[in-house]
Amino acid sequence: MIQAQSLTKRYGNKTAVDAVDFTVQPGRVTGFLGPNGAGKSTTMRMIVGLDRPGEGSVTVNGKQYREHKAPLREVGVLLDAKAIHTGRSAYNHLLAMAATHSIPASRVKQVIELTGLESVARKRVGGFSLGMGQRLGIAAALLGDPATLILDEPVNGLDPEGVQWVRHLVRHLASEGRTVLLSSHLMSEMAVTADHLIVLGRGRVIADAPVAELIGAANRNTVRVRTPYAPELAALFQAGDVTVTQTDADLLQIVGVSAADIGNQAARAGIALHELTPISASLEEAYMALTQNDVEYRTGGTPDDHAADHPVVEQPAADLQESAR
Amino acid sequence: MTITTPSAPPAARTFTVSGSGLSFFGVLRSEWIKLRTVRSTVWSYATVIVISLGLAALMSVSAGFDGSQIPAEQQTAIVTQAATFGVFFGQLVVAVLGVLAISGEYSTGMIRSSLTASPKRLPVLGAKAVVLFVSTFVVGLVSTVGSALVAAPILAGQGITAEVTDPDLLLPLLGGALYLALVSVFALGVGAILRTGAGGIAAALGILLLLPIAMVMIPADWVADVTPYLLSNAGLGIFGLNAFGPADFEVWQNITIVLGWVAVSLAGAVVLLKRRDA
Repeated sequence: MIQAQSLTKRYGNKTAVDAVDFTVQPGRVTGFLGPNGAGKSTTMRMIVGLDRPGEGSVTVNGKQYREHKAPLREVGVLLDAKAIHTGRSAYNHLLAMAATHSIPASRVKQVIELTGLESVARKRVGGFSLGMGQRLGIAAALLGDPATLILDEPVNGLDPEGVQWVRHLVRHLASEGRTVLLSSHLMSEMAVTADHLIVLGRGRVIADAPVAELIGAANRNTVRVRTPYAPELAALFQAGDVTVTQTDADLLQIVGVSAADIGNQAARAGIALHELTPISASLEEAYMALTQNDVEYRTGGTPDDHAADHPVVEQPAADLQESAR
Repeated sequence: MTITTPSAPPAARTFTVSGSGLSFFGVLRSEWIKLRTVRSTVWSYATVIVISLGLAALMSVSAGFDGSQIPAEQQTAIVTQAATFGVFFGQLVVAVLGVLAISGEYSTGMIRSSLTASPKRLPVLGAKAVVLFVSTFVVGLVSTVGSALVAAPILAGQGITAEVTDPDLLLPLLGGALYLALVSVFALGVGAILRTGAGGIAAALGILLLLPIAMVMIPADWVADVTPYLLSNAGLGIFGLNAFGPADFEVWQNITIVLGWVAVSLAGAVVLLKRRDA
């Protein structure tokens, strides 16, 4: 179990992690999500004591990481695939890591087989592809057969087979009662891998809930309506907790009312509808909706890009807040 | 906007940690594996030995002495000098090695793996220092003793001989190896402070090589009082290779001065390693 209490990290004037509280429970896979610069990696580094928290604290299984007698057996960590000396072979890297905890060479061979690195184990890491480096990082994380696994972007650079392998691996490890925290930018991957999500935005926890619930929340009654009488229809929904956005001359997006209600009210007012479509958000859309206001580095791209794929995203920021509340 | 929901209670099954723990002996073994499994170590040590043996041979051949004219103690001094002359160049090589032993970890990101395996951090630096010291001392001893063995028969041909058991020969051979080992640890500290290969190497070589030369060029009285305390001046004094005039200190005093440099370098490394984010 990982517990963070008002964990804070500042770099100069910039607050990378801003008083976050969360608990990562054992026995399930917890996904750590957030845009670039949201503070995910910094938080993970603080968990294993590489970065010192400015304020607050974080413990693993009740103790600060560095107070454990066998840190590698408590926590296996993949922070980034490049945390390996490029001049050393994969086997020697693992052997050196294992030696610190007197882990036998047989275990080194085991994790090499487990991660499918047999053929390159004796080669220098400098020549490894991103995917092989990633596998080696996972092998190192598994060395101590740890109770807690922290994996930062484990599927980054892996082929589809490797992605699936990581998914099965982490689910299996969680089913053994271990704590698994993994970050990923691939929301679709999180949807099938994680049970629970912690979403960070600008250094704050903006969501901490089961995956299904997060999708449900973003899903809340978004309906696309096509009608030649768009302004008239929009006027019907001015009251209360309803948001209406006109996305085209004859197209409205209405949040906060069910499709049935819209249809009924339109019929009562004598407004013809050409389309009435409830939109269900994917996890990706849920995530985009959540972090819309918390994106640190926004691409300057064309605003219309996402109109077709991500109906939730194109809403103005103010409406978004409304819709997700 | 914050959505926070307590989830269902976690799985009843809990995983318990078992197996061997972290120990300083383990970290020591780990650092030994790390040192011997990168090419720069092998190359550096081979260079130290080859340069030392080569210089010993060169000096002995080109000396052109007539042994019958030289008193016995000076004959010993000539053999000693031929055997330890390579240390002057060897110190530059082991300084680079010492810096790389830690800066290589920072440049590749390896340091994050090292410090998560040993999160109290200081054992990593301590183990690195011990491993570097011991291996460099052994390599230094191989090169000084080896150089003596190379030089002795050549010089004997010119009538210059030294007693194998003479402390005036043996102690400088040990002293040269000791100095090389201490320089590597000093450089390790410099590398840990600066964390970059280029900066660390520049600083370490600057202190070893440029500082003594630069000091000589400063026209002030206090300079003459300070120069004997410089790292390489005191260090070369350990085995009687005095670059600047007659010996200022006893051997043990020179060793103490070099230990002082090592202590300052390591102390800086300890403070910064503890304080900084990795």
